[in-house]
Amino acid sequence: MHEMSIVEALMEQIIEMSQDEDWEAVTRIRLKVGAMRQIVPDILKFCFDVASKGTIMENALLEIDEIPLLIKCDECGYLWSDREFLGMCPKCSSINVNLLNGMELELTNLEVEMKHAKTC
Amino acid sequence: MPRLVNVKKSVMAADEEHASFIRSMMKQKGVLMINMIGSPGSGKTTLLEKLLPKLNLRCAVIEGDVATSRDAERIAVTGTPVVQINTQGGCHLEANLVRKALRDIPIDDIDVLFVENVGNLVCPAEFDLGETFKMAISSVPEGDDKPLKYPSLFHQARAVLLTKVDVLPYIKFDRSAFWRDVQKLNPGADKFELAVIEGKGLDDLIGAIEDWLKDIRGN
Repeated sequence: MHEMSIVEALMEQIIEMSQDEDWEAVTRIRLKVGAMRQIVPDILKFCFDVASKGTIMENALLEIDEIPLLIKCDECGYLWSDREFLGMCPKCSSINVNLLNGMELELTNLEVEMKHAKTC
Repeated sequence: MPRLVNVKKSVMAADEEHASFIRSMMKQKGVLMINMIGSPGSGKTTLLEKLLPKLNLRCAVIEGDVATSRDAERIAVTGTPVVQINTQGGCHLEANLVRKALRDIPIDDIDVLFVENVGNLVCPAEFDLGETFKMAISSVPEGDDKPLKYPSLFHQARAVLLTKVDVLPYIKFDRSAFWRDVQKLNPGADKFELAVIEGKGLDDLIGAIEDWLKDIRGN
């Protein structure tokens, strides 16, 4: 259950970013979460909904791009994607494999409403 | 009109800054910092109790627990400087908490800093504390399937300890399956078997700690 810590860190980062900006509200938050991060998206969303009440990002839509594991075998060069990291190449059974993707935990972008709609 | 703001920054960026601060501090001071991660009851504190008096190095301990200072009290008996962090419900330590605790650690006078994380195989693996490396601690009674069920920790750990091997005759535990799975997840890990109460395996671990310290000090 480390989802709440992650939500707190995410909110702190967004609140800090909003300090010097003319944001009315944050309406959408897009994250990249690697499959090796042991994060349950529904729990992350639940924590966010609870914690964001009364903040600039209350009611924002949390969009989570789940990044599957990408693993490369250093022995035979085989590259594959998987839901679990089992540490063995399905082609040559080597255990000399490397995790390329799956540890991501990134705030990709935000969608915000500005306070004063500028007309030009 | 909604506006799109590109960020592309780690969610944990603020805490990662604390972690890199700690990592450079340890590097500069030549301190080996070990982040000990294992289930509640896997024997992390008992290991420290038995290890510290035998280790011919200057050590300090940071104890992470949800509540109480029981573990710190047990460590204090060994005469080792110890700081207790209570996470008040938090299931893992974070670098900002460790950085605060470091104020009470005599960092200039130690060789090794042990950080005993909150007992949990999941969350502590996901937070960098600025440690030299993570040490996974798994005990025989927990079962031989722990590496595959908690791959993130066993994949990252530089050292894997199997504790309580003295109860192997009484428990259904496939020792070779346990180590085979560790090997698959983490071919480079140093592996240890211990029965701490009897003192079994402690000398191997002590030798390894001395080697790791030499490694980071480049001699």
